[in-house]
Amino acid sequence: MSDSWSAYGVTLHSRFLLGTALYPSPQVMQAAVQASGAEIVTVALRRQSPAAGGGRSIWEFIRGLGKILLPNTAGCHSAKEAVTLAQMSREIFQTNWIKLEVIGDDYNLQPDPFELLSAAQQLVAEGFAVFPYCTDDLVLCQRLLDVGCEVLMPWGAPIGTGKGLLNPYALQTLRARLPAVPLIVDAGLGLPSHACAAMELGCSGVLLNTAVAKAADPVAMARGFRLGVEAGRAAWLAGAMPERQTAAPSTPVVGTPFWQQ
Amino acid sequence: MDIAIAGAGLCGRLLGWQLLRAGHRVTLYDRDAAGAASAGYIAAAMLAPFSEAVSVGPEVLEPGLAAQQQWADWLQVLAADSGVEVPFERNGSVLVAHGSDRSELHWFYRRLQVMAALQPGHSEWLDRQRLAALEPDLQEFAEGVLLPREGWLDNRALYRALRLAIDALGGVWRCGETISSVEPGLVRSGAAGAGQGSAQHFELVLDCRGFGARDQLANFRGVRGEVLRVRAPEVRLSRPVRLMHPRYQLYVVPRAEQVYVIGATEIESESLGPVTVRSTLELLSALYAINRGFAEAEVLEARAHCRPAFADNLPRIVQGDRLLRVNGLYRHGFLLAPALVQSVLSLLDGGVTCAPVKFEHCNQSAGAARPLEVKA
Repeated sequence: MSDSWSAYGVTLHSRFLLGTALYPSPQVMQAAVQASGAEIVTVALRRQSPAAGGGRSIWEFIRGLGKILLPNTAGCHSAKEAVTLAQMSREIFQTNWIKLEVIGDDYNLQPDPFELLSAAQQLVAEGFAVFPYCTDDLVLCQRLLDVGCEVLMPWGAPIGTGKGLLNPYALQTLRARLPAVPLIVDAGLGLPSHACAAMELGCSGVLLNTAVAKAADPVAMARGFRLGVEAGRAAWLAGAMPERQTAAPSTPVVGTPFWQQ
Repeated sequence: MDIAIAGAGLCGRLLGWQLLRAGHRVTLYDRDAAGAASAGYIAAAMLAPFSEAVSVGPEVLEPGLAAQQQWADWLQVLAADSGVEVPFERNGSVLVAHGSDRSELHWFYRRLQVMAALQPGHSEWLDRQRLAALEPDLQEFAEGVLLPREGWLDNRALYRALRLAIDALGGVWRCGETISSVEPGLVRSGAAGAGQGSAQHFELVLDCRGFGARDQLANFRGVRGEVLRVRAPEVRLSRPVRLMHPRYQLYVVPRAEQVYVIGATEIESESLGPVTVRSTLELLSALYAINRGFAEAEVLEARAHCRPAFADNLPRIVQGDRLLRVNGLYRHGFLLAPALVQSVLSLLDGGVTCAPVKFEHCNQSAGAARPLEVKA
């Protein structure tokens, strides 16, 4: 069965997007990405002195994966910073895709919705395909679509917390109200069951990094998440049975003596 | 044998000293004999096999423990050769975390129990009283972990001692010259800006240039690290302190006269530019969080360098004709230099490398270690 999705005109099959930072070594990172089955990997460049090509060796390792690169603006705190970094990343990686992160709170790494919207608007106008890392607020998401984003990346929980979906209601609302938009849950997932839960809610995919990179065995955890994403997606497509308050036996009870019921 | 060593950083000068002791003729090339431009010179020189095993993988645990004994033996001999006693402490290190990062400390401790299960007495969980008894200036912290078998050595004293020992044993220094290339059996060098420079031939060349050998090695990169040195008369720490932090592990390592080394950022960048404001803020906030007395410390130095690393972050010896490229100590210069140096000496003796040092021939992927065939 074909179960593809698309982002900015590119047809994709894997619903698991993986980050390339924080691994014990580039070699482990490469093995984890292969085990994840991801087609898209994110790459950060804010602190690598990108203008001077400071990260070129690690970028070569990442390019060597043969995956679609999604550079991000992690570490930016204003629209101006993020736009400048996006322009630089377009030159370095020869792609107009950008995962737009604008941080509003340094300790929580919580997105700044106001700067994010402003940066998204500017970048779309400059021809970028913007993947905005946002909170799960419906109105913000709608505004991001209004300025030309075609994909949304609401958080599950703050980056690196591994807490899973803090507000499934908000994600369900986004799914219900914006049914045609690819929704990628980005950040805050710690376990494959969290990824599975996001997919069961009808999200289009998940993006994570720390949960795999900081696992005792990142390669095994990448595989675990891949299976979690596949399980949740299968459940969404299959359609879940309705929940009931009382037990209902799966074996027919007709013919069973009443005193045994 | 007539041996050239290109790059007199930690690995180069240790090898120079050992090879001279083994009766070889040794010529060392570097910009300066003090080694001040090498990554090992700015490092904190912790010997932390347990902390590093949890951070990067179990491969460094056994070699790191062996390294401590090797350093103890070496420093005794080095004191006789050089007349310099290099400060070397093995009184443990302490890990602490602030309120919201406490889960990192607990996570670290759990991982350590699995990883170091076979090492008796590897760690001790500290409550406030026990922590205060060990390190009174860590009173801000409610809990911590003691790793009693960790330690540090004074890297700058070591560099000085190795230089003096090499001099005493008749080693030749070619300083103030820039190496333009390191090739099989020859080193080209000359005054800065003097083009190709002159070539000098040797029976064997050891390329120990660290990040400086970047363009000669495959799957090799630099990982930027930034380090501060401060003098803090108001603070007394008697052992290295590692502060758990969601993004880095930052450590403060004591030196004589209440000087402390604070490091290190770890950025996948090959920039050798000066320390950035953001990194300075992070390092100094960590310091201030450990003890408020650091507020009045004097900042003596802020320096950046690139750690030389292969794709698996483990050291490696790449063999060519009359050439060994000895590199990839990453952030484990002092922890794994003994294994790397012993591996080179073993290869010269017809033996093999010791774990975790990898071996490969030029133009060949990593494989089992093979005896070295040196063509005279």
